[in-house]
Amino acid sequence: MRAVLATAAAAVFLLAAPAAAAPDLSGFWSPAFAGIEQDPAMIAKLPANTVVIDDTGAAEFPRMEFGGLKLKPDALARAETWQAEDEMTLQKVCAPPSIVYSVQGPFPFEIDQTGDVIAFRYEYYDQIRLIFMDGRGHPPADAPHTKMGHSIGRWDGDELVVDTTHIAASTITNNGLDHSDQIHMVERYKLSPDGTKLMATQWFEDPAVLDNNGARFIEWTKQPGQYVLPYECDPSFVLEYQERGEGGAE
Amino acid sequence: MRTLPLIAAAAGLSLAAVAHAHHSFAVFFDATKSVTITGKVTAFRFTNPHGTIVLDVADAQGHVREWRAETNAPVVLTRRGWTRTSIKPGDTITIEGWPSRDGKPYVRMRSAVHADGRLIGTAPFGRQDQS
Repeated sequence: MRAVLATAAAAVFLLAAPAAAAPDLSGFWSPAFAGIEQDPAMIAKLPANTVVIDDTGAAEFPRMEFGGLKLKPDALARAETWQAEDEMTLQKVCAPPSIVYSVQGPFPFEIDQTGDVIAFRYEYYDQIRLIFMDGRGHPPADAPHTKMGHSIGRWDGDELVVDTTHIAASTITNNGLDHSDQIHMVERYKLSPDGTKLMATQWFEDPAVLDNNGARFIEWTKQPGQYVLPYECDPSFVLEYQERGEGGAE
Repeated sequence: MRTLPLIAAAAGLSLAAVAHAHHSFAVFFDATKSVTITGKVTAFRFTNPHGTIVLDVADAQGHVREWRAETNAPVVLTRRGWTRTSIKPGDTITIEGWPSRDGKPYVRMRSAVHADGRLIGTAPFGRQDQS
């Protein structure tokens, strides 16, 4: 049933795509940390029952704060038992978060754009994401779920609209709130008039975890001549953490 | 923006395999405090997700304690002029940063200078520069 609904939804998503001149989003984009002003027109396009959470970039919510997201009882119970130290293990320290968290993190990314596919290359954990612009839909519901998910895109005027499903379960806010593998995400990307800034809304719904929907407003600045560097995560970092001794700052 | 009517049945949802990696600055370090240590470097790990500097720090009585300084991700360090040879074992350096909340000799580096006062890299790191 879910497969049928997802396929139908994707068909509607693609049929609605207008034939407009596509802006060129290509380039190296570095997250903006200050002076960010939300684009009212982009915020106005968010669906009802959506809260815009303010944790983009380096900002992080304290324990048991979720920026207005309304957690289902099971999700709230999991968040209450979450311990940050549990993440500092060889098994977990190099496990990348999903695109739901990665898209807003304080690391740059590159966009390489063609007509049929747009590639997002994230420095954070060397992740690569393909946005299919060729009219295909999402795969069947039982297709593999990955940290980057499956993304299809279309142009809506000067905005790139990306619809993503098949995202493997991972964190939303890096403080114990995790999304399910049924999360559904829609992003809108738009260039500033002078082309030096890239703005986005990241909207997500996950009825298994949340009673409302979440969104973020994210902004990056273009940095010509720079490149994504290899991340090549080395989990042995946690051994240094675990070997820290007793007694520290007086 | 249209919403797509994906119906998520409670049964079959996967949360069991949830694991993510990046550790929170706010949980591990106290951004309201500052600590400065000077010592002799014994090791420098220049790998993501964070670099680590290990150094022996002597107190006023001459007792030596091993400290570790966690750095920003080396991809961030690289853009501030750091390389894996910016610090070598045997170097004496001074590190200023945010102390670990658990009181252990572990600090998140904001800046590091050589014994002669030269800044290592091109600029210190701020809270916004994590991770």
